[in-house]
Parts: sequence; C-alpha cells; structure tokens
Amino acid sequence: MGVFAKYSLMSALEYRINFVAGVTVEMGWMIIKLLYVAVIYKAGTNIGILTPDHILLFVGTYVLMTGIYMLYFGNFVSLPGMVQQGELDLYIVKPVSLQFLVTMRRLDFAFLLPDFVAGVAMIVLGWHLAGLPVGVVPIVGFLFFLVCGCLLTYSMFLLPYILSFWIISVGGIVDISNALWDFNNMPSMMYGKWFRRIGTYILPVFVITNFPGLFLMGELSVWACAWGAGVPVLFFVLSRILWKFSLKKYSSASS
Amino acid sequence: MIMVENLKKEFTYYKKMTGIKGSLHNIFHRESLTKEAVRDISFSVESGEMIGFLGPNGAGKTTTLKILSGILYPTGGRIEVDGFIPWERKNEFKRRISIVMGQKNQLWWDLPASDSFYLNKCIFGVDDGSYRDIITELSELLDVKELLNVQVRRLSLGERMKMEILAALIHRPDILFLDEPTIGLDILSQKKIREFLKIYNEQWKTTVIITSHYMADIEALCDRAVIINQGQLVYDGKLADMNQVLGKRKLLSVKTSEAVDIGAWKTFGMVREVSAAGAVLEVPQEKVKEVLNAVLSELQVDDFTVTEIPIEESIARFYQKEVVMP
Repeated sequence: MGVFAKYSLMSALEYRINFVAGVTVEMGWMIIKLLYVAVIYKAGTNIGILTPDHILLFVGTYVLMTGIYMLYFGNFVSLPGMVQQGELDLYIVKPVSLQFLVTMRRLDFAFLLPDFVAGVAMIVLGWHLAGLPVGVVPIVGFLFFLVCGCLLTYSMFLLPYILSFWIISVGGIVDISNALWDFNNMPSMMYGKWFRRIGTYILPVFVITNFPGLFLMGELSVWACAWGAGVPVLFFVLSRILWKFSLKKYSSASS
Repeated sequence: MIMVENLKKEFTYYKKMTGIKGSLHNIFHRESLTKEAVRDISFSVESGEMIGFLGPNGAGKTTTLKILSGILYPTGGRIEVDGFIPWERKNEFKRRISIVMGQKNQLWWDLPASDSFYLNKCIFGVDDGSYRDIITELSELLDVKELLNVQVRRLSLGERMKMEILAALIHRPDILFLDEPTIGLDILSQKKIREFLKIYNEQWKTTVIITSHYMADIEALCDRAVIINQGQLVYDGKLADMNQVLGKRKLLSVKTSEAVDIGAWKTFGMVREVSAAGAVLEVPQEKVKEVLNAVLSELQVDDFTVTEIPIEESIARFYQKEVVMP
C-alpha cells in the first residue's frame, strides 16, 4: 500500500499542472459546501437539535470522508473499462489480493489534500464551537466511527462497479450510487423519519458521515453503535463474496 | 511440468443484427450463442522445454495461455501446471509462473521501469540481494542498463517490451508464457529478444511456451511446435518433422544453361516455379534421386540444390487445415 501511495504521488507529480488543477477543482467543490454552511450560519436556523455549529461538524465529516473516498475513487471508475478491455489479466497473475490491487493501486492525492485539510479544520472548529465533550472516549469513539465509515464507503460503493463483470456497462447504476453519496451533503436529520431509516438501515449511506457526529452528541443508542460498527463489516464481507463470485465471470478480451 | 487433457473453453455471446433496427431488437430479445474457442486440446510440456504454440488469428492460442496461467476458467478438461490447478489461483502457483503479453503492459507509464520492477519485487517478496543480481544480470543481457531510469512513456516499443520481459522475470518463474512478445518490433529488437530468451532458457532451465506469428522466433527458439487451428490441435511434434507429416516432399531447384519449356519440366514432376534460368520442382522424397538422374541426363544443367519445403509453407498448410495430425 505504501509503495502504491508513493508511486501514485510520483506519477501525479510528473504532471505538475494537472496536479495543481486537481487540487484547485477539489477546492472549488469544497468552497461550495462551505457556502451551504455559511448560509445556515447567516440564517441562524437549527435543524432539529442541530445548531449551525453542529452542522459545521457534520459537513466537515462529509468533506473529509469525500476526500478519503476520492483518494481511491479513480480505481472504481476504471474497473468497468478494465473488465471490458481485459486489462485484469496481468493483475490476476500477481500473488496478492486482486481486489486490493485493482481498487487501491492508484491513489489521488490532489483530491485528498484540500478535503483533508478543510474537513479536519471544520470538524475541530465545529466540535469546539458546539461545546461538545473533549476526552479520550469521545475522540476515540469519533475516530472509530470515521474508520467504520471509511470501510463502509469502500464496500458499499464498490458493489455497483463489481456489477461490470456481469453487465459490462454500469454507467447508469453508478450514477445512482454517486447520487446516494450526495445525500450526505447535509446531516441526515434534515430528512424525514422514514427516509432517515431507509438511509441508515437499508442503504446505510447516513451511517458514513452522521454516526461520528451523532456519537459525539450522545445521540447514538447502544443498538445504533452496534449497527454502526457491524454494518461496515457486513458490507465488506458482501463485497468480497460478490467480487470472488463475479471474477468467475471474467472472460478477458481478445488481444 | 505442464499437462493438458481434453481442454475445452466456450464463450457465450449474443447475436447482434446490423443497424439501429438490430440494436432496438436486441433490447427486447437476445439470441445467445456459444463459441468454442478451444476444443479438446491435449498436450504436455517437460520441465525446461521451450515450445512454440502456433496457429492463425483466433485459433485459441491466447485463450489456452490464459487458462494455463489461471486468468480464465476452462469449460472442461484437466490441467496441471507445476502440480497446481491454475484457476484455483493459489499464490504459490502465481509465484512460479509469469506471463508476458505483447499487447498488454504492466509497467507504470509515467515512472521509470525500475520503479515497476521494485513494485514486483515487493509483490513477489524477492529479497534485496537476488533482486539486485537479477536486475544487473538481465538488464545487461537485454541491453537496457542505461534505460532503467527513463520513464516508460519515453521508451520505444522495443525497449518497452524488453522491460516488460524483465519485469516478468524478477521472481525467477519456473514457467514463462509469452504471447507474441515480438509483435510490432523491428528486426533488431526481435533478434535481441530471441537471443535473450534462448540464453535465459538455457541458463535457468525455465519452461517456456511462446506464441508468435514470426517464424524466425519459433525456428530460432523451439525444437517442438504445437499447432492449433479453430480450437483444435492439428500438430504436435518436432518442427523438423513437420514435413514428414505433410508427405515427405522435397524441393529440387535446377539451373539450366538454356531456357526449357514448361511442358518439358512437367514431365519430371510438379513444377512450382519456372524461368529462363531454370525451375523449382516439388518431388516425393523417395523419387529425388530418380528425378535428378533424369534431369541431369536430359537437360544442360549448370547447378542444382535439394531443400526441404520451407517451414512457413508447412505451417500454412496446417493453418488451412489441409492436414490433421495422424
């Protein structure tokens, strides 16, 4: 993984202007997200029990998670093409996990960099302004749910791309899954009860960016904590099973 | 080392009618078809052997190599490679084989080849000492020592192919599959790669299966050829014996001091070429002496030679499926 990270950064730095452009585009995207928060501050409205300070924390978590997802997102995007063109051939014969090799070989630091810096800053600021508890348990718990969120993001959003082994062209399905990601733009509390339940227990996108903040606020029941820790494992196992099963469908391509 | 028994591979696809009408029709109804890429192929390869795997485009060569290296699952048959079943894709198996495909690359495009070598070193768990030795030895043999630190995108096709081969050998595989390693290369690069493979095979006793459309590759490297056509095995034996299977015929080239009418040549045997200076006749091996005597006694002969039928020609006849192995 370390070597991949190093090589990806080295490759990216071969094209300096492109790297800078990547950083700039991601910063532009981030500023739009910041504007939402600015509007909320300006209006001074609360969403349920969430003050604008809480919302800053939630949006910060979303920005940070987006940066981490974007770090390896390019690999997901290139998977259908690799399946179609038979480019998995030379990866299959390597004695390491093919799923790891294919989904983690290129890491995009141009996207991670601005999101990471801004996300962490927003989290720290929101945490402080909202007067949320600071201590070992809140910090470890928050980080724990962040890690769970990362695993869940990877596993859940990989699933539609794995379908490319079966149906080759997955553009439409992938668009739907990307739209799901954007539901996390704002805290889940702004959505209706049923919508929130679906997004937490059926297609658990809300778990990714809401659980760390909700844990800090003491809004997670023991059951919800167990769900937040278990569902990433569940989805990871699911992605492994589907990956292995789908690989049997791989038919390479003429060369 | 490699044992293949009744290997079968079928691909399913659907029929596509031409035009937009066909495309619309396809949305609602798709007729599924099956293509047999490989049909009942059996052969075996001894340890350290280097065999040429030949056949026209679409014969099933690459498919067979992909099954042997574990990339594809077969539809039927039994295969053992170095004691492993390839499609189980065990890591121990992957450490023993390597595959190079002339039209696919594993090197990182924007980085020097040496970085990709290092990545392979990490993936295959090669220790530092052997890694250094391998790079030094092979880069010298392939004549690319000066290019190790040049970005792959700046290398020529020939240089890149040499690097691809080097990358595939970092872990010293027991078995090497080469799928058209010289495709599109100039004559000098082809020759260099051939020489390298010959030395490498002799020195390391690596088992090699190579496919190529260039006969020079096969003639220089392999004693034995396996020929497949339309997914079926049509020949398995020594390159030199191919002619025997095709009816033991020889070419008799005769130069005469004066022009001879084609009709006169035809009385000696099958005429393949004729000119004012002489002719080339194709005659059965056992009749060479008899025909030669007749030619020498009846014509003013300046010079003559007796040769085998060129190997390309024999192979072409196997490709056209004029003959099937006895």
